[in-house]
Amino acid sequence: MKRVAKVKGYLQLVGIDPRRVEFYNLSAAQGPRWADICTEFTERINSLGPSPIAIALQKKKANTTVETQAA
Amino acid sequence: MIVGEQKPFEEIWDMVKGHKQITVLGCNTCVSVCHQGGSKEAEILASLLRMRATQEEVEIIIENDGIERQCEHPFFDKISDNLQGSESVLSLACGIGVQFIAGKYPSLPVYPALNTTFLGDVPAEGVFMEKCQACGDCVLGITGGICPVSRCCKRIFNGPCGGSTNGKCEISKDIDCAWQLVVDRLEALGKLDDYEKITPVKDWSKDRSGGPRTFKLEGF
Repeated sequence: MKRVAKVKGYLQLVGIDPRRVEFYNLSAAQGPRWADICTEFTERINSLGPSPIAIALQKKKANTTVETQAA
Repeated sequence: MIVGEQKPFEEIWDMVKGHKQITVLGCNTCVSVCHQGGSKEAEILASLLRMRATQEEVEIIIENDGIERQCEHPFFDKISDNLQGSESVLSLACGIGVQFIAGKYPSLPVYPALNTTFLGDVPAEGVFMEKCQACGDCVLGITGGICPVSRCCKRIFNGPCGGSTNGKCEISKDIDCAWQLVVDRLEALGKLDDYEKITPVKDWSKDRSGGPRTFKLEGF
């Protein structure tokens, strides 16, 4: 958990919401709990929207496409 | 060993963001022990810089590498070609490594990612403590192995000063009085008589006040 906390700190440092990373300890017998976590985490990521990195990369790709078309 | 701490990320970013390419270079000896400057930390820092560059739409190629020591020529052999092809270097070594690169590659800009903080040991896991100031004239033989130069806040040689309380320094209750440690140690060694000996004025010309120091092995 210390490592996860550290990674969260790193992400915050570069403007990425640390809630995008989470760590859970589960046994193979906790199928329902696993499903709950997946659902909760997916909802969380959906509510946060695309990461700033993804947005920047999409913008870069769009600009490159426009430049290519213009050429 | 030499202990260092990574500079604030913003300070590092401001140093490197104007370049088109930078090699983030770890040093895998002293500063890797304190988890601040090894190849692993270089890799992490390079990733963070890439993420920042992407978000700020700055076109900069950020690579990372590492060698065992950035303060000796032979260790550079395996990366010399890469470094000579680099536009700039962000060194995670101590100040010695940064200066060594500056001297070895005169036309290559080099930036420090660390603040070199002190010469110290590792008294407990994850704890680093200053123990030596490289004063050039070691007195540990007469102080029971406790250094008054690095561990006494006033650097006095015939202590304690009178400001200590319950074995703690008046500067902070978290700092041991070095001279209390000296007395305790001499007592444990049965050498308390040494404590009564007055230490003469120290020759500080062997410290930094004599300018940068050098040492040359004969026969080389």
